[in-house]
Amino acid sequence: MEPEVLVAGVLAGGLYALVALGLSLGIGVLRLVNIAHGEVIVGGAYAAYAVIERTGWDPLVAMPIAMLAMAAVAYPIQRFLLHDMVMNGPQAALVATFGLAFLGQAFFLGVFEADPRVLPASYAASGADVLGVRVQLSYVVTFVVASLVTVATHLVLSHTRAGAAVRAAAADPHTAEVLGIDVRQVYALTFAATAAIAAAGGVMAGVTQSFGPSSGIGLLLSGFAVVALAGIGRVGPTFVGGLLIGVLQSVAVSWFGGGYREVVVYLAFFLALAIRPTGLLSRGVTA
Amino acid sequence: MTRTRTRRDLALLAVVGAAALALGGALDAFRLDLAVTLLVYMVVAQAWNILGGFGGLASLGAGAFVGTGAYAMALLLIHTGAPWPVALVCSGAAAGVLALVLAVPLLRMRGAYFAVGTLAAAIVLQSLAVNWQWAGGSSGLTLPLDEVPVGLPLYRAAVLLAVLTFGAALYTRDSRFGLRLRSARDDEHAAAGLGVAVFPHHVAALVGSSILLGMAGTVVSLQNLSMTPGSVFGLLWGLDAILMVVVGGVATVMGPVVGVLVVYYGLTKQLDDHATLALVLQGVALVGIVRFAPAGVWPFVVRGWHAVWDRLPVTRAGAAR
Repeated sequence: MEPEVLVAGVLAGGLYALVALGLSLGIGVLRLVNIAHGEVIVGGAYAAYAVIERTGWDPLVAMPIAMLAMAAVAYPIQRFLLHDMVMNGPQAALVATFGLAFLGQAFFLGVFEADPRVLPASYAASGADVLGVRVQLSYVVTFVVASLVTVATHLVLSHTRAGAAVRAAAADPHTAEVLGIDVRQVYALTFAATAAIAAAGGVMAGVTQSFGPSSGIGLLLSGFAVVALAGIGRVGPTFVGGLLIGVLQSVAVSWFGGGYREVVVYLAFFLALAIRPTGLLSRGVTA
Repeated sequence: MTRTRTRRDLALLAVVGAAALALGGALDAFRLDLAVTLLVYMVVAQAWNILGGFGGLASLGAGAFVGTGAYAMALLLIHTGAPWPVALVCSGAAAGVLALVLAVPLLRMRGAYFAVGTLAAAIVLQSLAVNWQWAGGSSGLTLPLDEVPVGLPLYRAAVLLAVLTFGAALYTRDSRFGLRLRSARDDEHAAAGLGVAVFPHHVAALVGSSILLGMAGTVVSLQNLSMTPGSVFGLLWGLDAILMVVVGGVATVMGPVVGVLVVYYGLTKQLDDHATLALVLQGVALVGIVRFAPAGVWPFVVRGWHAVWDRLPVTRAGAAR
């Protein structure tokens, strides 16, 4: 295996790590499997697109705006819609997000039309030398963004009061409520944060590959493949899992050709869950 | 009580089925086609209901099995001289075999993971179909026109399939198998503790549901004469299945019927030219129903019926319902 394949895989994996981080936190903290997560990612890409179209800014400048926009959309959805659905059965919220996913797709289709788009960046076509290997600069940027977001998330969760509140609400929402933590607010803010992370992933996905209204599902499943490998809710393993998936995909494409790049990821998802439902990289605590 | 109710419902099913078959002769081509479409939706919804409503395993990937049935039918008709009824049964079996294979990884998961697993299955199969040049690749397949039933024979096949599906649903609702399945749905650990073999029941529900979905897929392929990976493996089947069952009433036999009629006439038909808007409304409907009326329309109707019926002086005397 040539080093290009490996390095390209690791860098591309940064995108998967971003995609999966929001999903994983949603499941780990809110116990919500957000089937519309892919649409949140794509929403971030479209939001950035809308900004760039009017201002001509670099995607990285548009990224905070896209993140804020998706967070603003996500907050009320969780707080006023999804939070109360838990009472209607464990799968009610899941089915609801399934409906939201279609809603999102239809919205994108209606507003932006079906044509695939790309977020234009000055470095999109350039190459760079990483460890002696020639790679696309945009993937390096993605990797850096993913690393920064991951580290920031970890630091917030482990070293701030807000992070402690999130962890408490995740571990035992009833007790947290009794201890004075507004769980509904914490959940809503966490969901908004996952949407922001997803939007960042969407912007980077928009730079490195084209996207369209129906790109969400593929991204969702890639995220799930990472979660299956890494286990739920743990920031570090999710990052590593993303890199692993990136490498897996890179190797598979170099062996079997481009048509199977998605299939490999989904098969990894199946195998990971079949072999070890709690996640290959986790220590076996209940998922 | 249950025995009587089952016998009554089975008799009702037989009568309705026979009437539907007989009625076919009086319908024109357009209405026959419409009827086939509605019957296919009812089969898909009911099949989902068996696995998801009675079995508690909500699947998002109905498309995986519908598509398998459709492609199997098309490939059999194109490459072998098999008569279409034989191909139909074989295609259903193919979907069942797929379900058996997928049961191993899928049934290790519950709830959300199971749902996502079925979603992944549908997506994987769609990708494989797109890449499979022998099976038409992304352009899909077209069925040989002279070997395909149209009009009345297709309608009759659809009616028989629907009767079979509803019979399966009745069985799941009223039999001991169904009781054990539902107990596993309501509390898997307690059921297992009481001696219910959960995994075999889940496999049976998954395989049975998938065979029915596969056969629905064959009818779709026969009706449309051509298919693309997206049209038969697509996620829209999963959405429609859930929406129609949830709107109508989960884990009831009549629910899917009501749901199909409401969604089809209320949504799909009205918005024939506005596919995007229809999709938006379907999404909204699903979210709304799950949030505000999770039991669906049918139980609502039943309660209303009882509220009126049980109050009538005639029925009050002998009310042992």
